[in-house]
Amino acid sequence: GAAMQRFLGPLLCLWALRLPAGTGTAARGLDVASYRERVRAMFYHAYEHYLESAFPYDELRPLTCDGQDTWGSFSLTLIDALDTLLILGNVSEFQRVVNVLQEGVDFDIDVNASVFETNIRVVGGLLSAHLLSRKAGVEVEAGWPCSGPLLRMAEEAARKLLPAFQTPTGMPYGTVNLLHGVNPGETPVTCTAGIGTFIVEFATLSHLTGDPVFEDVARKALKTLWKNRSDIGLVGNHIDVITAKWVAQDAGIGAGVDSYFEYLVKGAILLQDKELMSMFLEYNKAIKNYTKFDDWYLWVQMYKGTVSMPVFQSLEAYWPGLQSLIGDVDNAMRTFLNYYTVWKQFGGLPEFYNIPQGYTVDKREGYPLRPELIESAMYLYRATRDPTLLELGRDAVESIEKISKVDCGFATIKDLRDHRLDNRMESFFLAETIKYLYLLFDPDNFIHNDGSDFDVVVTPYGECVLNAGGYIFNTEAHPIDPAALHCCRKRKEEQWEVEDLMREFYSRKKTKKFTFNRAPDHSEGENAKDPEDASSQKAGEKSNSKKSSHSLLSCPSQSFNSKLAVLGQVFLDNT
Amino acid sequence: SRAKDVTMPAKLPVNFFSTRSPVIDLFRGQLDYADQLRQNSEIVLYFFYAPWCGQSIAAREEIEHVASRLSDQVLFVAVNCWWNQGKCRKQKHFFYFPVIHLYHQSFGPIEYKGPMSAVYIEKFVRRVMTPLLYISSRSKLLDFLSNYEPGVVGFFEFNASPQPPGYLTFFTSALHSLKKDYLGTIRFGVVTDKRVAEEISLVHSGSVYLHRHANTSLIYPKDIMNFTAENICKWALENREMLIRWLRPHGGKSLLLNNELKKGPALLIFIPYNPLAEIHPLLDEITKVALEYHKCNKSQAAEPDLQHVGDSDSPAFDSSVTDAHLRLSETFPIAKYPCCNTVVLPQWHSISRTHNVCELCVNQTLGVKPNKVHVPHCNFLEIEAALDSFYLQEHTFFQVISNTIECSNFLSFYSPFSYYTACCRTVNRHFLSFISSEKTIFQTPKVAFSSHGKKDNTQFSIPHIEDRNCFIPDLNISSTNITGLSCRTNKTLNLYLLDSNLFWIYAERLGASRSTHLKEFAAIVDLKEEVHYVLDQNQSLVGPTLENFIKNFSVLYSPLKRHLVDDPSVHFHEENVVTEVTTNTFHETVFLSAKNVLLLYYAQWCGFCASLNHIFIQLARLLPPDSFIVARIDVTRNDLPWEFMTDRLPTILFFPHQRKEQSVKFPEDFSVDLPNLLKFILHHSSLSSSEPCTKECLHKEAVLQQGHISHLEREIQKLRSEISALHQAHDQLEAQLSEARREEQRLQQQKHTLEKQHKTLQLHSEQLQATYDQKNQELLEMAEKLQELADASENLLKENALLRILVASRGGKLQSKDEIKEPLQSEQTLPEDNDISLSTATAASEEKRIDNTDTIETGHSSGNRTE
Repeated sequence: GAAMQRFLGPLLCLWALRLPAGTGTAARGLDVASYRERVRAMFYHAYEHYLESAFPYDELRPLTCDGQDTWGSFSLTLIDALDTLLILGNVSEFQRVVNVLQEGVDFDIDVNASVFETNIRVVGGLLSAHLLSRKAGVEVEAGWPCSGPLLRMAEEAARKLLPAFQTPTGMPYGTVNLLHGVNPGETPVTCTAGIGTFIVEFATLSHLTGDPVFEDVARKALKTLWKNRSDIGLVGNHIDVITAKWVAQDAGIGAGVDSYFEYLVKGAILLQDKELMSMFLEYNKAIKNYTKFDDWYLWVQMYKGTVSMPVFQSLEAYWPGLQSLIGDVDNAMRTFLNYYTVWKQFGGLPEFYNIPQGYTVDKREGYPLRPELIESAMYLYRATRDPTLLELGRDAVESIEKISKVDCGFATIKDLRDHRLDNRMESFFLAETIKYLYLLFDPDNFIHNDGSDFDVVVTPYGECVLNAGGYIFNTEAHPIDPAALHCCRKRKEEQWEVEDLMREFYSRKKTKKFTFNRAPDHSEGENAKDPEDASSQKAGEKSNSKKSSHSLLSCPSQSFNSKLAVLGQVFLDNT
Repeated sequence: SRAKDVTMPAKLPVNFFSTRSPVIDLFRGQLDYADQLRQNSEIVLYFFYAPWCGQSIAAREEIEHVASRLSDQVLFVAVNCWWNQGKCRKQKHFFYFPVIHLYHQSFGPIEYKGPMSAVYIEKFVRRVMTPLLYISSRSKLLDFLSNYEPGVVGFFEFNASPQPPGYLTFFTSALHSLKKDYLGTIRFGVVTDKRVAEEISLVHSGSVYLHRHANTSLIYPKDIMNFTAENICKWALENREMLIRWLRPHGGKSLLLNNELKKGPALLIFIPYNPLAEIHPLLDEITKVALEYHKCNKSQAAEPDLQHVGDSDSPAFDSSVTDAHLRLSETFPIAKYPCCNTVVLPQWHSISRTHNVCELCVNQTLGVKPNKVHVPHCNFLEIEAALDSFYLQEHTFFQVISNTIECSNFLSFYSPFSYYTACCRTVNRHFLSFISSEKTIFQTPKVAFSSHGKKDNTQFSIPHIEDRNCFIPDLNISSTNITGLSCRTNKTLNLYLLDSNLFWIYAERLGASRSTHLKEFAAIVDLKEEVHYVLDQNQSLVGPTLENFIKNFSVLYSPLKRHLVDDPSVHFHEENVVTEVTTNTFHETVFLSAKNVLLLYYAQWCGFCASLNHIFIQLARLLPPDSFIVARIDVTRNDLPWEFMTDRLPTILFFPHQRKEQSVKFPEDFSVDLPNLLKFILHHSSLSSSEPCTKECLHKEAVLQQGHISHLEREIQKLRSEISALHQAHDQLEAQLSEARREEQRLQQQKHTLEKQHKTLQLHSEQLQATYDQKNQELLEMAEKLQELADASENLLKENALLRILVASRGGKLQSKDEIKEPLQSEQTLPEDNDISLSTATAASEEKRIDNTDTIETGHSSGNRTE
């Protein structure tokens, strides 16, 4: 603690001086519609050049106007951009691409693929396209959403990843050969995010297909990570999946860890799962205690809690968005405003930003057009309607167009100091960056549906209410409809129960005392297997329930002063 | 590949401003040239930008606008401070763009940090151009000092020397203040006329005076502090009065509102403000209220004069209000209530729980000259009008038992220039209990006060005017007077101004109506109590309304009502299955409807709420709409009375029909799903049939069963569609199955052919094996023969050796015999020939063996390859 204080003394002062006084807001409001159209034009500029020059390769190389395979060989940019097409309202192209993918993509290939990237980009992309395909006017088969060609493709891709989970700990290898499984001699070191970023896609797959294997392996990996957290409640960056020893012990919220935390929250929301949420809340406490300084999040040693790197990483910018999902809007906004100052300094977010020095870090000066800050802006705009967030959107559009637009697409910024460009356009540019920008400028998009619209679909398992909003974005910005998870196998039993209750209701008899169904608690079974951990976990749960009488699956209401917390104004806690 | 390493440098910079623009655009970042340009002009504005920066792009237009108006006096230079080859980037290190620097000759840079709006920038540039205001006459001095913003006056006599000592320092301090105080709130003026200076008791040239309204004004203490620009500026900043402050958040992360609002309750006044405008009548009016409010010490020397100046300046009635009011209260305290009546409150009246007598006074002084007030009699109609509006406001009284007198001011609905005061008090508790127990006629409360009252003839519980001529001296309560109120109340307000052109969003957040085109709004925000009050938006924002607003806040039992912000964007849709409730419709939907109501508190941003949408939609579709409402309220956009607030989201409340006040909360630790919600509703709904059945009940039963029937019909419909879906799925499966069967058949056939092929291959392999064995046998035999041959040759060799020995021995014998017998020689050569032929034969056989092993080896290696 003392060391940190010493370290942070000058840091805080510096930041107090460096607040961007004078960047006042323009009197007139932003022309949201015109920015929305500019984002649309950006999308097509990149998308059409990909189709023209790079397809069927994974990615476009914008400086040389050709394509290359990067994460596999499955026309990744096309899969990733599919649902963006629908969000932009281009139904016909969506339908065309669905056909192209069904014909052209083959996962029986001798390729070493990243388990993590294949899951979030391919499985996630296919799942969301499958769930949105009816909305996009694709002729769906009778069993939809519990069956369909895109779902089968997603399932096939996911099955190719399952061999990676065959480890003593249940934590997956980082790389798998799609044809032969895990290569002999494969390194057992995987980053934390590469272990804990499956529950959203895999649980969705399990609920839709009825095969529990996907959700089971994802849960097991999450639990192993939880068991291996340090005494002060932090996780490191890389772990050996055979021995469960931490190889990289830097703890933070950014690269290597980021989407693990994200998926604990999103998994909790998607599955109404208290256990996942309680894990996150415990981590959140430790993160606040050890890594948070002046609304920045630093990197600390996972066992001691001492600061190891006083940097802000571009990837960390997802955090405010995540906080807003669970109702911590005030803190989210404060951190967001810090991050925004970095954007204003460079016209993008460098991969690493040294906070006390106020400058980029050597070899980490690039900005590959990442979406995280814009993603947070979109979530926060939903919560606050603060025009500052639209201003970030404006800045992003202006910067990306001025700096990285080339004849063949949009190029990664290799160095933010001089805006030199690199010959790459990552698939997340079309999947995420453009999508979040567009959604920021399109408050009436169907994705923002607050539940006033919905579809009723009849399936062989009964009637389903779908597309009622509340979409959960996976970490590659592929939206999953939470209602779809309640639509397939389990639906029938619930329906019978409901039918019984309705009969009772109309017969006006209260025969028995009602017993409520408890929230699904997956910890029970696992605890029995591991008595040592069970005791500690139960103790944790007990203290939890003592401290907070409220449900874990809820957000706090916003405080009174949040009414005035716009245009950069922040309020300190009253305590 | 090489394409991987391809990179591209940033594009070369191009013009940021158009070439026709009055702004000189140094888009290559030529800072050295920019410095050169500065020599040519007295006032220079630098606009440092980055071409990719959205804020620079947005500010470009504003700068151009200012430049087009001031280009003849000010040089505008824009410098691209991003391009990494440019001088500017190399020398300056900015954390944000754009940065605006101003120079007044060699003085600078003065950074502009105000709003990026043309009018504000222009105002600031003009301040830099003329930091000192020349005050030539007495009236101008009074004008200067009457302004609500602090003024600093320097007295310098130019008669003695062309440049009096200290003048330059004073001038510089004015410029210096603009660096610190970028909003330019402190104004600097200079007086050269001795007689004018005497007005503010400045005698010596070189003295500096800081004017203050509520406190004593100050003269710069030269003997204590050095007379430097920085010191003067610091002194003025530290000692200035902040009676009312502009709030101008800069847009970056800031604690401005946090810090200001934590000081205590704050009155935020939103008015549209043009800094360039010559006159600001509304602002003057507001600041006058602020001055009055803070005027605790009435013995201000300069005050009456200043007031006078203010009065003579303003053409209309607007400014005379507070003035008149003040004088009135000072001179004729009683005359404040020229027209009062005692009102006895009926018991059913809500105020009567705390107060039973109210004193109602109509005051017409507002906007009218004071002498008109002393009209001896009251217009009865006016009193009645006041009474009406008083009863409309009755709900604003808090229900607190108290023996004190409370007064509240209300603007009359009928005339903007009159208001009335209501002072209520409780009279004699015995009296009250007497009334309630004996149920006698309600009598005039003679005991306590208002002895002027005559007996009420109506005698019943109708609100009535008791006496039209009464006024009670002790009712002249100081709280009704705004002058110096800030020092007398324990609920002191801090006063703030916000420009609604820039910060209207805060007004909207506090509940300003979005439809109004007039952007004027006032609200009192109490951060600690988490409550805010809003000045009625139907009233125009003028001095008197503001005064009343402040007064009503200051009284002990404030009649102000906590303002509840309502979401105006929600419209009632009949087709929505889930009813959207707002602040305004809450009571009606939840309490007044004759149905069971399930209410969900949610927020759009809360992930846990949004993922429940589908469950509530299903529930609403399931429950009979004629007896159930499934509703929800977005509590981020809709405030509710305290008792209905919730601290967690989602929260689910059930309001059973006929027992609406007994709402129940869905238990938090149960999962929110359809069966649980149904059980919850069934458990708490009032549909029990225990009471004996009457006709009405039968009817109800019929309605219910009708509902059941229609529910079942819907179910059947659902089942039908489900069946058809199943059929489709069945067909689909059938098709898939037959395809699979075909596939299987095809595979079977393939298997057969494969098996056949396998068999032939097996045969072939057997044959090959046989030949292989045979060959092997042959080879073995061959080897054996060779062995035999080798053995034979070895025998032969041995024999050969023996023979040689034999020959040798024979030779020896022969030699010895030779000497004896010559003719025997020919006989000896024959066996020697024989010997030679034999040795060649063994050599040949040996060679053959070597050849043999060679072929075996090559055969082996070729076999390897075929494998």
